[in-house]
Amino acid sequence: MSAVAAQRSLIGASLPRKEDDRLLRGDGCFTDDVQSAHQLEMAVGRCPFPHAEIRGLDVSPALALAGVEHILTGADVRALSAPLTVLRPVPGAPELPYYALAGERAIHEGQPVVSVVATSRALAEDALELIDIDYEPLPHVTDTLQALAEDAPVLHPGVLDSNLLARHEDRAGVPEERMAEADIVVGERFRINRVTAMAMEGRGVVARWRPGARQLSVYASTQTPHLLRHQLAESLRLDEGCIRVAASDVGGGFGQKLGIYPEDLLAALHAMALGRPVKWIEDRLEYFRASTHAREAVFDFAIGARTDGEISAITNRYTTDLGAWNSSFGSAQLSSVVFTGPYKLADAVAERRVAVTNKTPIGAYRGYGQPEVNFAREVLIDRLARRLGLDALEFRERNMLRPEDLPWKTPSGAVYDSGDYVKTLRMAGEAVGYAAHRAAPRRADGDGRLKGIGFASFVERTGYASARFLANRGSIFGAHESVTLRANRSGDIDLYTGVSTFGQGSETAFAQICAEILAVDYESIHVHAGDTASSPLNTGAFASRTLIAAAGAIREAADELRGKALRIAAWVLETAPEALEVSGQVVRLRDDHSRSLALSDIFTRAIIGQGIPPEETPGLEASAHYAPDEAAFSFGTAAAVVAADPESGEFSVDRLVMVHDCGTAVNPLLVEGQVLGGLVQGLGAALSEDLIYDPDTGQLVSGSMLDYFMPTAADVPPIELLHSEIPSPVTSFGERGVGEVGTIPPAAALANALCDALSEFGVELSRLPLTPESVWRALKNAKGANP
Amino acid sequence: MSSNEHSISLRVNGREVSAEAPARMHAADFLRHRLGLTGTHVGCEQGVCGMCTILLDGEAVKSCLLLAMQLEGADVRTVESLAEDDRLSDLQAAFKKRHALQCGFCTPGFLMLATGLKSSGRKFSRDEIRGELSGVLCRCTGYDGIVRAVEDYLGDGEAVG
Repeated sequence: MSAVAAQRSLIGASLPRKEDDRLLRGDGCFTDDVQSAHQLEMAVGRCPFPHAEIRGLDVSPALALAGVEHILTGADVRALSAPLTVLRPVPGAPELPYYALAGERAIHEGQPVVSVVATSRALAEDALELIDIDYEPLPHVTDTLQALAEDAPVLHPGVLDSNLLARHEDRAGVPEERMAEADIVVGERFRINRVTAMAMEGRGVVARWRPGARQLSVYASTQTPHLLRHQLAESLRLDEGCIRVAASDVGGGFGQKLGIYPEDLLAALHAMALGRPVKWIEDRLEYFRASTHAREAVFDFAIGARTDGEISAITNRYTTDLGAWNSSFGSAQLSSVVFTGPYKLADAVAERRVAVTNKTPIGAYRGYGQPEVNFAREVLIDRLARRLGLDALEFRERNMLRPEDLPWKTPSGAVYDSGDYVKTLRMAGEAVGYAAHRAAPRRADGDGRLKGIGFASFVERTGYASARFLANRGSIFGAHESVTLRANRSGDIDLYTGVSTFGQGSETAFAQICAEILAVDYESIHVHAGDTASSPLNTGAFASRTLIAAAGAIREAADELRGKALRIAAWVLETAPEALEVSGQVVRLRDDHSRSLALSDIFTRAIIGQGIPPEETPGLEASAHYAPDEAAFSFGTAAAVVAADPESGEFSVDRLVMVHDCGTAVNPLLVEGQVLGGLVQGLGAALSEDLIYDPDTGQLVSGSMLDYFMPTAADVPPIELLHSEIPSPVTSFGERGVGEVGTIPPAAALANALCDALSEFGVELSRLPLTPESVWRALKNAKGANP
Repeated sequence: MSSNEHSISLRVNGREVSAEAPARMHAADFLRHRLGLTGTHVGCEQGVCGMCTILLDGEAVKSCLLLAMQLEGADVRTVESLAEDDRLSDLQAAFKKRHALQCGFCTPGFLMLATGLKSSGRKFSRDEIRGELSGVLCRCTGYDGIVRAVEDYLGDGEAVG
């Protein structure tokens, strides 16, 4: 095999992960593993009410406690810092100034009100107990739609005169006219549950200030070190050059660890006041109230069709719950982008309303609006098929875009790049034996349970279509990734990236791509991730965009570095660069392997500037920034097989099949891990996870790990992953993003399977999560409607 | 040292050690912050997530539910004891091969739980393994790789039961 062919095999190979050894040995460096000399610890006092006036606050007994070093209140924070900034504002919405501590009013349970630094976390918590806060509870509203009612308390008076933060419409064609002309229209109100990302490591921060050097060093559990640095600079009114943010190992992110949180700023303010390092580690009860929630929305979704089964229009009018403030990434926006899914239609409208409520702020979470709208659309597709007397799978197939239709501009303006949607639908149908299921008479099994099969198809936006697209949506960040490659005298390559490591395997995938292009050993690439002091400015890891953007940057930087290394080698070996190849950590003549030069030799020459061509400058280092022009759209179909008890509503999930296309898989092992992990998160959100607020008290009643049911190993049904690999024409290696896709289809596939199992009773499901109780209620409703 | 600090002597990963801890400090914090064994992680401090699982006298336990002082005289094993020199143990190697970790925060908990299962000498079916492993949570992997890795380790690569 030629060296080139051998190297080619690096992309597409399931290489062992760079990250694994340290993590397996307990030698990862998570935020709480950072221990600084003379370090102090911070604890945060939080509002116990959903809405309250803060009439007074006496910190003097706490300050008198031995070991307490410093206390910040809302007034201090207003004097010392500016409000937290937002990376992804809601388009067209006014700013909602958000300080790190509440001032005269707190508007959600868990909002930070006071923070204490002491010699230990335990002492800081003791001190919080001594702080007397005079709260006057105010009327609150926790329901998304009630928040928009005329009599609801207005949560941001002075900025808004109601709780409607913004309304935005994306439309194409004449959907209302098409609806009026349709032979049949089905519509429904869908309620999507509020969930949380549930990273196993909560958030955390260690801040250290050196007043003489004017240097703030921050270790944080973040997906976006460079963006956090920028936001800290804004709120602290410091020059960005004074701040370094480093994230070494991050214990899960899933979108929740994007951008600044109040505690990041508080730790910095304390550290700057004291000149000593300050650590804050979020505990799990805080996590449920202080780290952003996700998903909650109410969809009024309708589909119009002809009796022959052609979809003519979609209207998607939804209200998304922002919680109390606009967090860094605010509420999900993609429910307006991919709402028509894989179907071919020209007339559609998405109307998005953003409501403010007395709850923890909503933020980004894996899928970012796509699982939500997928549930509404795909459940309604099945319902429409049943009304028309058509098969759910055939109905989908009939309306799906064909490969020859692509690229296709959807009614939202998104451009689907390529793919074969029907193929994934058929693969899913075959995998679960759908034809046989359809043909067999419907009989209960021994337990009296009925079997059902359901499908959900999707198209997923991965990556961003350029910074121009982001500017149109009001986002304060770019679409690019960047990398610096630096040759070292050992003959290896140091790769510097601002992408922090939180489980996605980017150290591995980046090294694979880099090693492939340089034709060097995978082991010779040393990845240094997540430190703003050493990495080029980048965007960060979210939106399934990292690999898409970073792959282009790595390719450009590696080409530049390789070109210079080969020019130096050619000069030494007295040949032309084109006559050379790299193999086994040496550069050699392609036609005469005995004439070679070790990479360590070439790199050393370049670094010290001795023994290089006179026209070359010393050094061997390259940086590149790359932004893709277009987003890549991944796609697929999930199928669920369930067995449901028509009396009790109890059910089991017997199989889950996912057919997915992520284009070229750089590392199939990582791809499977991402898809599977996402699927199980989607399963949790579909079946058991629910952040419930008591409407009377406004309290979060499922806010602990004992009350919030994320799946355990024993809860996961058999899952099969099937891949289609159609390379995307818009990315460097044909890849599509893979980080979020698993979360998108499970809920709809499961609901459709349950409705199929219980079809003879006319069961319809429209809210999440899907529990035995909700199925039992749906059975009861259906029997009431059709006695 | 303030007066509420107490001296604790125990055996950790084969070595006799002695350190001070406040009476209210839990065992996971003691291992992490007093003994510097930061491989044991803390995820909920209420005995649900299992990140802090260690072996206490051979039994897998959640160390956030123990006070540091309860470790007096105990024999404790943590994740730091598994690898020998630069070589991963069979269990760790199985996790690597099966892509049984992503962010790695939960991994020490699963490794210590599985080490405890192995030392029990029992045989486990895949369903039983899933049941046993439900004492530790993972949000990244969807568990499949973890179940397979533990199955490899307990059954020498072959499914049992």
